[in-house]
Amino acid sequence: MKRIFGQEEQSKRALEDITRRHFLYNMATGIGGIALGSLVGCSSADNKNSLISASGNPLTPRSPHFPPKAKNVIYLHMAGAPSQLELFDYKPLLHKLNGQDCPQSFLEGKKFAFIKGVPKLLGPVVSDFKQHGNSGAYISNYLPHLQTIADDVSFIKTMYTDQFNHAPAQLFMHTGSPRLGRPSIGAWVTYGLGSENENLPGFIVLASGGKTPDAGKSVWGSGFLPSVYQGVQCRSEGDPVLYVSDPAGIDRGMKGELINTINDLNKDHHEEVLDPEIQTRISQYEMAYKMQISVPEVMNINQEPQSIHEMYGTEPGKSSFANNCLLARRLVEKGVRYVQLFHWGWDTHGTGPGDALNGGFMDRCREVDKPMTALIQDLKQRGLLDETLIVWGGEFGRTPMRENRNGGSGESLGRDHHADAFTIWMAGGGIKPGVSYGETDEFGYYGVRDRVHVHDLQATILNQLGFDHEKLTYSFQGRDFRLTDVHGKVVKDLV
Amino acid sequence: MTTISNLFQRKSRAVMIAFIVLGVLAVYACVDAFSESEVGFNSQVRPIINTKCIACHGGVKKAGGFSLLFREEALAKTKSGKRAIIPGDPENSELIKRLVTHDKDQRMPLEKDPLSGEEIDIFKKWIKQGAKWEDHWAFIKPQNVTVPNFEDSFVKNDIDKFILQKLKEEKLEHAAEADKAILIRRVSLDLTGLPPTEKEALDFVNDTSPHAYEKVVDHLLKSSAFGERWAAMWLDLARFSDTKGYEKDQHRNIWRYRDYVIKSFNEDKPYDKFTIEQLAGDLLPNPTEDQIIATAFHRNTMNNDEGGTNDEEFRTVELIDRINTTFDVWQGVTIGCVQCHSHPYDPIRHKEYYNFMAFLNNTRDNDLNEEAPTYISQKDFDLPKAKELMEKINTLKGDKSGLPATVSEMRKKYLLPNLQAKDFDDSSKIYFNHPTITYKGTGSYVSYKNINLTGVTKLACRFVSDKGGIIEAHLDSPEGSLIASIGMASSFGEFYESSAPIIRPVSGVHSIYYTLKPNNIGSGDARIWEFKLYQGENKNKDDKKQKALDSLRNELSWRINPQGTPVFEELKGDNRRNTFVFLRGNWTNHGEKVEPEVPKALNPLPQGAPKSRLGMAMWLTSKDNPLTARVQVNRLWEQLFGYGIVETVEDFGSQGNKPSHQELLDWMSLKFMNDFNWSNKKLLKLMVMSGTYRQSSSANADLLQKDPRNRLIARGPRVRLTAEQIRDQALSVSGLLSKKMFGPSVMPDQPAGVWQTVYSGMEWRLSAGEDRYRRAVYTYMRRTSPYPNMLTFDAPSREFCMVRRIRTNTPLQALAILNDTVTTQVSAALAKRMFAEGGKDLRSQISKGYQLALFNSPKPETVNKLVRFYNKASEFYKKNPKKAVIMVGNDDKAARLAPLTLVASAIINQDEFLTKE
Repeated sequence: MKRIFGQEEQSKRALEDITRRHFLYNMATGIGGIALGSLVGCSSADNKNSLISASGNPLTPRSPHFPPKAKNVIYLHMAGAPSQLELFDYKPLLHKLNGQDCPQSFLEGKKFAFIKGVPKLLGPVVSDFKQHGNSGAYISNYLPHLQTIADDVSFIKTMYTDQFNHAPAQLFMHTGSPRLGRPSIGAWVTYGLGSENENLPGFIVLASGGKTPDAGKSVWGSGFLPSVYQGVQCRSEGDPVLYVSDPAGIDRGMKGELINTINDLNKDHHEEVLDPEIQTRISQYEMAYKMQISVPEVMNINQEPQSIHEMYGTEPGKSSFANNCLLARRLVEKGVRYVQLFHWGWDTHGTGPGDALNGGFMDRCREVDKPMTALIQDLKQRGLLDETLIVWGGEFGRTPMRENRNGGSGESLGRDHHADAFTIWMAGGGIKPGVSYGETDEFGYYGVRDRVHVHDLQATILNQLGFDHEKLTYSFQGRDFRLTDVHGKVVKDLV
Repeated sequence: MTTISNLFQRKSRAVMIAFIVLGVLAVYACVDAFSESEVGFNSQVRPIINTKCIACHGGVKKAGGFSLLFREEALAKTKSGKRAIIPGDPENSELIKRLVTHDKDQRMPLEKDPLSGEEIDIFKKWIKQGAKWEDHWAFIKPQNVTVPNFEDSFVKNDIDKFILQKLKEEKLEHAAEADKAILIRRVSLDLTGLPPTEKEALDFVNDTSPHAYEKVVDHLLKSSAFGERWAAMWLDLARFSDTKGYEKDQHRNIWRYRDYVIKSFNEDKPYDKFTIEQLAGDLLPNPTEDQIIATAFHRNTMNNDEGGTNDEEFRTVELIDRINTTFDVWQGVTIGCVQCHSHPYDPIRHKEYYNFMAFLNNTRDNDLNEEAPTYISQKDFDLPKAKELMEKINTLKGDKSGLPATVSEMRKKYLLPNLQAKDFDDSSKIYFNHPTITYKGTGSYVSYKNINLTGVTKLACRFVSDKGGIIEAHLDSPEGSLIASIGMASSFGEFYESSAPIIRPVSGVHSIYYTLKPNNIGSGDARIWEFKLYQGENKNKDDKKQKALDSLRNELSWRINPQGTPVFEELKGDNRRNTFVFLRGNWTNHGEKVEPEVPKALNPLPQGAPKSRLGMAMWLTSKDNPLTARVQVNRLWEQLFGYGIVETVEDFGSQGNKPSHQELLDWMSLKFMNDFNWSNKKLLKLMVMSGTYRQSSSANADLLQKDPRNRLIARGPRVRLTAEQIRDQALSVSGLLSKKMFGPSVMPDQPAGVWQTVYSGMEWRLSAGEDRYRRAVYTYMRRTSPYPNMLTFDAPSREFCMVRRIRTNTPLQALAILNDTVTTQVSAALAKRMFAEGGKDLRSQISKGYQLALFNSPKPETVNKLVRFYNKASEFYKKNPKKAVIMVGNDDKAARLAPLTLVASAIINQDEFLTKE
C-alpha cells in the first residue's frame, strides 16, 4: 500500500510538472489569471519564486506517471515495410500453394495499392525457415545473426494498421494519425520526460539507406507541441546537426570568446530591461556551445575499439545502418531518451531486381541483421538492455500474394502492401523476452489470435516508459490530444 | 487504482488553482448572488459549467442524458425522467439536488471535489431567475462601446483610454515613451518587417516636430515592403507552399497567389473584399484575373500524389481542411472536432459541419496530380503566338467575330470544358506514380455519370500510353452501344492530346463508359487525365479541316499555355456533387444529404446572399457576423503587441482565453468595419499611433511580478522577431538585401544535403545574383523539408493553417545564428560597412556597427568590451592569416576586417538585435 501511495505521489508530481505550465497558459483568464499565468511562458527561465520554477525550462527532466521499466527507446524503422512472410511469419501452406490463384475471399472488399485482378499466391522466398533458441521463434536464414539471439527478442506476429500507403502508414506508426500535424511519439516522450543530458537534444533521429522516410520530417516532428520537442536529425554527412560546426574562419577558442562576449552584452542588457527571455537566451547560447562539442563527440565513432567495429560491422565516415546502430548505443549512454532510426529501401514490389524479394530485399537484410543483433548484445553486455527498449518493424506488412504489376511474370518476386498482418519485434526495456505473441491464419493474411493495432503498440511503448497513454495529453484547439487518439490497449502479455 | 484518478486529481487541483485565481471574481459573484441583482449567465454560470460540468455533460458525452451545451437540452428530461433544471424552481431541480447531496454516488461532480457554497448559490439563483441562457460573448456581435473618459498626457488616441482604465483598476502605471531610436526600429519592423535605414532613423531622431512620428508611420504604411511583411503573416493562414505535401511533395506552381496577397496588402484592399475574393473570387460577376488567382487560397491544401492513393479520399481530406481553415482564419473558432460529433464546448452541431461543407463541396479540383483546374495568367501567356493561332482558327472556321480580349474568354471560346471521372472499376483507378485512370486488360472501364449529351458532337482525351490502343465510348454500361472510338498512338511516356472524333448523336442525360481495345501492336494500358466533350461545333465531315482545327487547338492548349495557378472553379449542372453527413466523421459512411447552411449559433446568411461559396463569403464579411472583424483586429494586435487581446488567437470559443480588454476589442472591431471600411492600414495606424504602443518596453521588478507577460500593457511590447524578420533584418543592415519584389520562389543558401527525397528529382539550386538575398517571404517553401533556418525560428511547415506561432528560445536558434552561412556573410558585409563608413578609429567603427544595426550609440563600456574582444580576435587572425581570408575573402585589409567581422557577429547575435524592443 505504501509503495502504491509513493507511486501516486510521484506520478502526481510528474503530471503537475508536465501540465502546469500548459494548464496555466491556457487558463490565464481574467484578472488573477493574468498574474499567475504570466509567470509561465514557454521559454522563460528564472522564475525562482514562482510555483512553476521547476518547469521553467521545457526540457527539465521529469518523472512519468509510474516507475518506468525503460528509460530509453531505440526504434528501428524499416521504411518501405519488410515482408514478414520471408522473415518471421512462416507459412508452409503458402509454400504448397505457390503459384495458385489467390482465394477469392481475400480480395472481396479489399483495396490494394498495386495488385489488380486475381493475383497468385507466393510461397516464402527463402531456402531455410527454422525455429531458434529455447523459445522456438521462427527466423529465416535471411537473418542469421538475429537467429543467435532469438531468446532475447519477442515478436508480435499480428500487428495491423489502418493505412496501406507508405506516407500515411509511417505517420500513423509514429504520430498515431495518418495525416500530418500530430506530434511524433519521440516528441511526446520528450514532452513527458524532458531531457537528461543538457548538452544533447532529448530526441535524435538517424536515417540511412540514402533517403529520408516517405512521410518526410513530420514522422519526427513536434506537431502542435512546442518545437523544442521535435526530433533533431543527426546526419552522417555534413554537420551531424545543422549549424553545429563553426564556420571555417574561426576556431573553438575564438568561438568561446565570441559567445562570452555575446552573453556579456546580453547580461548588461538584461540589467536594463529585465526581460527573463534574455536570461534564457544566455543559457541557450551556453548550451549551443556545449552542443558544438558534445554532438560531434558523440557522433564520432572513431574511438570505438576494433572489436566493437567488427561486432557491428561499422565503417567510420560511412553512412550506414550499422553506424547508426552504434551511434544509437552511444546516444542512449549519454542520456538521449529517444533514438529513432530509419533504414530506407524495403518496399519490395518485385518490379525489378532492386526491389525484389530475391534481390534488393536480401541486401537490406544483410545491411541490418548484424548491426541490430550487435546492438542488442552490446547493450546487454553493458547492462543497458534492461532499461533500453528496442523496437523493430515497418509501417505495414506484405501480401501473401505475388504482386502482378508487370503481369506477374519474370524473375523478380514481390509482394504488395498489406495492412492486416505484419510482424514487429521488441527487445529489452522490460519486455518479456522469448515470446511470440499472436497468430495469423495459414496464409499469414490476417491475425486470428491476439491482434495488436498500431495504437496498442504505441500504448505499450509509452507504458514501458512509465506513461499511461490515456493521460499523456496536450490541449490544442480546444481538445485534449494524445498519441493514441481515443484507442490503444497495452499488450499486457508482453510487459 | 494507482493512477486511474491521477488525471482527475491533477485536473481538480488545477481547477482549484484556477479558482484561487478567480477568487476575486468569486467574491463578487458571491455578493451578487445574495443581492437581488440578476445572475449573469456568461459571467457567473458559464465559467462553472465549462470548468466543472461540460466534460461529462456536453457535446460528446451526455452523461445521464443531460447536456449543458444548449438551453433546450439543459431543460429537457434526463434519462432518469427527471428534469435537471426547472426554471424558477431550484428546489425541485435535480441539478441542485445532485450538487448538495451527501451521497457520494449521486453527488456531482462525480468523484471530484464538490462545488463551493457560492457556486451552488449561483446555480440556485440563476434557476430561480428563470435559467436564462446567454450566448458565449464571442457569438454576440460587438455592441457600441462608450470610450472611457480619461485625460492624461499619455493619451494619444482612444485606445489608450481603455488601457489606462484597466491599469488604474490594477493600480499599475503606464511606462514612458520609448527612445526614438527604439521606437522607429519597432514600428518599422512591425509595419514593414524591415528595420529603418540609418538615414530614416537619424531623420526621425532629429525631427522635433509634433508630427514626426506620424510622418514615419505614414511613410511606412505606403512602403512596398508593407505588403511583403503582412503577406508573411497571411501565408501561414493560407498554408501557402511551393509544394503539394505528402510523400511525393512535388512542386506546385502557386506563387502568383503570394503576389496577389502582397499586392492586396499594399493596395490596402478592404478586408471584406480580400476575404470574398479568396473564398469566392471566381463567382464574382466578370471576375478579374486577381480575383481568380485569389481563390488559390484554398488550393493550397495538400495534394497526395503517392501511388495507390484514392483521389476521392484525399479530395475529402482537402475539403475538410478547407472548412477548418475557413473557420480558423475568419471565425477564430476551431471546428475540426465537429467533423465527428457535435462541438463539445461550443454550440455548433455535427450536421452543421456538413451544411457548411456543402458550400465548398462543388469545386472542380479533385486531388489530381496535374492540379486542374488552373488559371493561366495573361502574363504567362505567349499572346503573340496565341493570337496567331486563334486567327488561324478563326480563318479556318470563317469566324469573323474577332479575338477575345482576355485569356479567360479565349479559354472559354477555344478550349472546351473537361469532364472529371466519377466512377471507375477497381482495376482502372490506380497506376504507379499517377492517381489517374488506367485501362488494363479486358473488362476495365472508366465511367462518367449523368452527362447531358444533347448537342455534344465530339469527344477527346489526354492520355499516356506505351503501346497505344483504342478507347471506346459506350452508353450507360461497359457493354452499351458504341458512340465513339478514339485512337491512341504510343505516346512514349508523354501526355498526348487525342484526336476528337465525332460521336454518334445522342440526346438526353446518360452515363458514358470508356473501355480499352488493344490495337495491332498488342495490349497496353493508358492513363487518362481528362475527357473533354465538344459541344455544338460544326458538324461537317471535312476531316482535313477538322484535323487542322484540332491541331491548332492543341497548340493553343498545350504548347502555348504555360503552367497555370491552381484556382477554384465551380462545378455546374449535372456534375455537381451532393453533400452528406459523414457518420462519425468517416467519409465512406454517408448519413443524410444536406444543403448549404451556416451554423445557427452565428449570424444568418445575409438577405439576398446566394446559397453558394459567394454567399458564404458575404456571410463572413457581414457586419452582423460577430467574429470576423474581432478575429482580424485581434490578429493584427497580436502581431504588434506579441499577444492578442484574446490570447488564444486561434480560439474565441468558450475554451479559449477571455479577452483581456473586451471593450477595446469590440470598439476597434466596430471602428474597423464602419469608420475604416475594413482598412487594415487605418486599423494598424490607429494601433501604432497609440501611446500604449509607443511605451518603452523596459520592465521593472514590480511590473515583472504583477504582470510578467505584459497582458495589461503597462509597458511596450518586447518579443523575439519572427523567422522572416530575422532574415530580412540581417540582410538589410548589412546592405545585402535585394529589393526585388514578386515572382516565383527563390533558393537562398541552405546547408547541403537538407533535401533528401524519396522519388522526386527536385534539387535545391542556389539562386543566382540578387535572388540569393531576397526577403524571406520569397524563399522556396517545401512542406516535407522547409527552409531549416526559418523552421528553427518557429516558422511552420505550412501543412495546415497555423493561426499562431508559439515563440521558442532554443540552443538550435543560437547555432543557426552563430554558424549559418547567411549570418557569416551578413557579419562580413556589416563589418565592411563599419570599416568603410565608420571612420578610421576602431571605437567609431564599433559605434557605427551599433548605429547600422540598432540605430543607437553603444555605451562606452560596451565599446570597451568589444574593443577587448576585437583585440583578441586580431591576435587570433595574426596567428591564423588564412582564416582571416576565409572569413572576409582576399582583401588587403583582411587582418582588420576579420576581427571586425567577429565584432559584427557579436552585435547581430545580441538578444537586443533578435528582439523587437
